[in-house]
Amino acid sequence: MAQLKLGRGKVAHAGSLPLNIAKDIVKNKYLYIMLSPVLAYFIIFQYFPMYGAIIAFKDFNPRLGIGGSAWAGLEHFKDFFGGMYFWRVFKNTLMISFYDLVFGFPAPLILALLLNEVKNALFKRSVQTITYLPHFISLVIIAGMIKDFTSSDGVINDIIAFFGGERVTMLLEPSYFRTIFVSSNIWQHVGWGTIIYLAALSAIDQEQYEACKIDGGGRWKQMLHVTLPGLLPVFVILLILDIGRIMSVGFEKVILLYNPTTYVTADVISSYVYRIGLQDFQFSFSSAVGLFNSVINFALVIGSNWISRKLNNTGLW
Amino acid sequence: MANHRNSKKRKWQLILGITMVLSLLLTACSGNGGSGNKDKAEPTQSAVSNTDGNGESKGNEGEEKPVYPMDTKDTFSYWAPINGNLITFATNLAEAPIGKEIAKATGVKVTYIHPTDGQAEEQFNLLLASTKLPDVLEYDWSIYPGGPEKAIADGVIVPLNDLIDQYAPNLKKMLEADPELDKMVKTDSGQYYAFPMVRNSEGVVFRGPMLRKDWLDELGLQLPVTVDDWHTVLTAFKEKKGAVAPLTAQYAGKMNLQDAFFGAYKTSHGFYIDDEGKVKYGPLDPQYKDVITLFRKWYSEGLIDKDFPIIERNTLDKRLLNGESGATVYLLGGGMGKWLESGKAQNPTFDLVAAPYPVLNAGEKPFTGQRDFKYNPKASAAVTTSAKNLETIVKWLDYSFSEQGTLTYNFGVEGESYTMDNGVPKFTDMIVKNDKYTSQQMLAQYTIPNGPFPMHEQKSTNTFPQQDEAVKIWSETDAAKHILPAFITPTVDESKKVAQSMTAINTYLEEMFIKFIMGNEPIDKFDGFVKQLEDMGIRDVIDIYQGALDRYNNR
Repeated sequence: MAQLKLGRGKVAHAGSLPLNIAKDIVKNKYLYIMLSPVLAYFIIFQYFPMYGAIIAFKDFNPRLGIGGSAWAGLEHFKDFFGGMYFWRVFKNTLMISFYDLVFGFPAPLILALLLNEVKNALFKRSVQTITYLPHFISLVIIAGMIKDFTSSDGVINDIIAFFGGERVTMLLEPSYFRTIFVSSNIWQHVGWGTIIYLAALSAIDQEQYEACKIDGGGRWKQMLHVTLPGLLPVFVILLILDIGRIMSVGFEKVILLYNPTTYVTADVISSYVYRIGLQDFQFSFSSAVGLFNSVINFALVIGSNWISRKLNNTGLW
Repeated sequence: MANHRNSKKRKWQLILGITMVLSLLLTACSGNGGSGNKDKAEPTQSAVSNTDGNGESKGNEGEEKPVYPMDTKDTFSYWAPINGNLITFATNLAEAPIGKEIAKATGVKVTYIHPTDGQAEEQFNLLLASTKLPDVLEYDWSIYPGGPEKAIADGVIVPLNDLIDQYAPNLKKMLEADPELDKMVKTDSGQYYAFPMVRNSEGVVFRGPMLRKDWLDELGLQLPVTVDDWHTVLTAFKEKKGAVAPLTAQYAGKMNLQDAFFGAYKTSHGFYIDDEGKVKYGPLDPQYKDVITLFRKWYSEGLIDKDFPIIERNTLDKRLLNGESGATVYLLGGGMGKWLESGKAQNPTFDLVAAPYPVLNAGEKPFTGQRDFKYNPKASAAVTTSAKNLETIVKWLDYSFSEQGTLTYNFGVEGESYTMDNGVPKFTDMIVKNDKYTSQQMLAQYTIPNGPFPMHEQKSTNTFPQQDEAVKIWSETDAAKHILPAFITPTVDESKKVAQSMTAINTYLEEMFIKFIMGNEPIDKFDGFVKQLEDMGIRDVIDIYQGALDRYNNR
């Protein structure tokens, strides 16, 4: 946290005294040099391509280029909103994101808190390593494992059958899809997600714990009154960032796990667009959908940041 | 404190990691740009001198066959996906034995450019968006929006009619001798756009129904011919052999039965051409309801794999090899050949047999089945507008259609990978009985598995007599009359309309198909299902395809 505070202080400084920027550059030239690739990355790969978003309003033809393609107005947006499956994919996208946020988002925080209480270093590290592992496995393999686990002769069904239940091929049940999707997401990312919390935990002032102990606080009270408030800023920032991704459920995992039986709960905006894009190279249509998603995401980020600032005075900016 | 130091260390590692990735990205970009420029610079120079020289010496000889190896210093760049089996041995075709042999035989050193494995389609599209194209692009030009005709009009590739007349006597001879092929390889307005890959008769039929021969024999059953026979056989497999999924099939977007069973009712799971030459969409047919009713009954009786919407290649292997299934519709080599090999290893009595596409009444000829076209548009080489020395390129491409060239492309190096036995080429043991590598891996090094050349009639990759028999059985259909050719070309606007309507239609069709079969939707909803398809614009799509088919027939 110390670094973060320092960073914020600097920004405020430079902002209020523009004359000092040049001086600052000279003084911290190595820091600026280190910053420059990142800046360049964002300008080249994140900001510059935004110009390309105008193909959402054009009939883009690669040979004619962005400038040369004919204007199509809002035609692609009309096609998308007017499509038979618009409401279904829109709803599914929101539902999956929502479940992921409710169940998936707090999971790393809980794991980090639990790990924080573990005093045996060897055990702690083993748990960390094991929980990080799924994060590094390719999604295709993860999906293959999920298919194996959920198949009618898979591990999960073995357990169900052991307790006298009936075997079902879970990926053929529309009502199971979201549960499978979200719980496997948690399994994949919970370990990785703890890293940032553990980093924030290490920055909490030890004196606060001592003060709490002197006041008679036990472990539970310490967690409630020292640890959690210490983690709150990180938690809120991550939450805002996650809310900003609500409309973008990646298509990769969905298309690896769904099939026409589960379209009714599994088909999301990105997978639907993927199917359209695959048949014909409809760059413009895909861009229109992408733009629509981005606008909603952007509004959500602004909105949640505003709420967060109102409520507890922390936010992204 | 230890924790604190750790997190600091981690942070540094992260920064280092990111910097390394970034710098890699940067060098990768500049590297590409550099080599691209190099490729371009050279041909431009030699192009001028070459056209002059050849114009004088060959001018009055007219259509004289080009002499190989050619006496030229020209070179050009050739973009093509690399064979997946070759990558283990060479990262560039020019380094492979077959690449060297072609270079030696033609006298031209070609610079091959290969897209990253698995990203060919993406990189092909990116290439089209750029102005700097390789001289030759080998890919599926029928996926170009608006078709190859539009690619010529857009100035991406050059029409080859005059060039073939002048410099490609071998291909010209082949096209003149085979009007059917000729129709496939040109555009609606009669322009040739690519050097085609031409399949041999075995390469055209490679998928069909097959059953466990040992089970049939053991149960004293005949090879099923009619739908009723199939019912008897599948029931016996289930009851007597304990098959949990007597009939299964790969599911890839749809249950891939190659219209087996659909054909018995003279319909299809998608578009087809009826006996009057009209484009039809199977699900709209009244007899499609009969197919669904049949499958629904079989599904409820446990004859059809109850997991059929999630059957992938590896599940299919498992089903067949573990005795969970006794029948499927699948590939000749990757299915029948592979299963016979590993099945026999586990259990010497394991045997498979090909069944004819089912019919309703014995004696009928199957309405449809799997049948590909002679022309394989997926591996056809077009010359781009960036190419300078067209004459050399066209002559080089024509080499694979010459007698010697066909042998080289199909069989590789004489005396090394093949020998001539009474005028019939035979692969050597190095290729077919290699201790270290599979024949596919050896073939990838010594031959061109897919590319712009005619497949030799004698070339066969079958390893079991059952496979030879299967090709004969599966060929006995009227599929040639009823399959919609892949080379029909809707216009740009039409293909956009088709793509948009068909995504929704396919989604709907598959959902309903599965619901009907699994019994989640009453069968009397069928009329509503047809009406919904019509509301989604299926008639417009049929009209578009009909128009494109008419243009194709008039070529």
